[in-house]
Amino acid sequence: MVQQNMTQERLDATFSALADPTRRAILARLASGETSVSELAEPFAMSLPAISKHLKVLQRAGLIERGREAQWRPCRLAAAPLKDASDWLEHYRRFWEESLDRLEEYLRELQKKEKKNARKK
Amino acid sequence: MPAKSNAAAKSSDREIVITRVFDAPREMVWKAFTEREQMAKWWGMKGMTTRVLELDPRPGGTFLYVIRMPDGREMCGKWVYREIVAPELLVVVHFSTDNTGEPIPHPYDPNLPPEMLTTTRFIENGKRTTMELRSVPINETAAQRAAFNKLADAMEEGFNNSLDLLDDYLATI
Repeated sequence: MVQQNMTQERLDATFSALADPTRRAILARLASGETSVSELAEPFAMSLPAISKHLKVLQRAGLIERGREAQWRPCRLAAAPLKDASDWLEHYRRFWEESLDRLEEYLRELQKKEKKNARKK
Repeated sequence: MPAKSNAAAKSSDREIVITRVFDAPREMVWKAFTEREQMAKWWGMKGMTTRVLELDPRPGGTFLYVIRMPDGREMCGKWVYREIVAPELLVVVHFSTDNTGEPIPHPYDPNLPPEMLTTTRFIENGKRTTMELRSVPINETAAQRAAFNKLADAMEEGFNNSLDLLDDYLATI
């Protein structure tokens, strides 16, 4: 149960982190490589403290990591939680899509058989 | 079941929507969805084989199945039929189970909604059949619902592109 609550908290943090467009933009930027906070702040009309706040949220959600290298503490992506969540929704859709592909194939075979039988009659 | 307005669907009830046109008459598609031997032939992803343990297509009845994956692992799932109007409407509640048919938490994450309400309509379209499927989570906790909605929101806002980037990135680590 404790384990489950921890997962719950982590997932809640992930989703509230993702709910903000600036934070999603930060993630997209980090997808092309690690970078410093000041570089991250550049494209946004935001102060460094404001960006730092967003980074803290992302970090708490386990979506990014900060390096320990003293001065510039680079940010990088730690995208596993994000991937899990999107995988789930996609997986359900994919399950249906692939089943329906097979259904299509099956119906085609069935139709062929029926036509053959009709000709025999 | 009254059709939900799109506006309402957008703001709260997140849906998975799939539309397909099958090159087969409606009666044939309907049977493929409701007959035991036929379900086993197509239900499941490529490379999986499906055994039907139970199929009783009437309100309250169940479809219980075991799917064997290519690596030999097996997973079970169940539909409970809610509403059936042959040959046009099928409403089921779908969830994962153990091999006795008892519900289990969502295999990906216990926080994600474990049950999906899936409404499938079959519409005659000349000699073809149009199938419209809508799936929404039900009986979920508030946290699970919030998780589902936020995820669907994020994806709708073009977040997919970022996810593609992420996929590329993840492939490199």
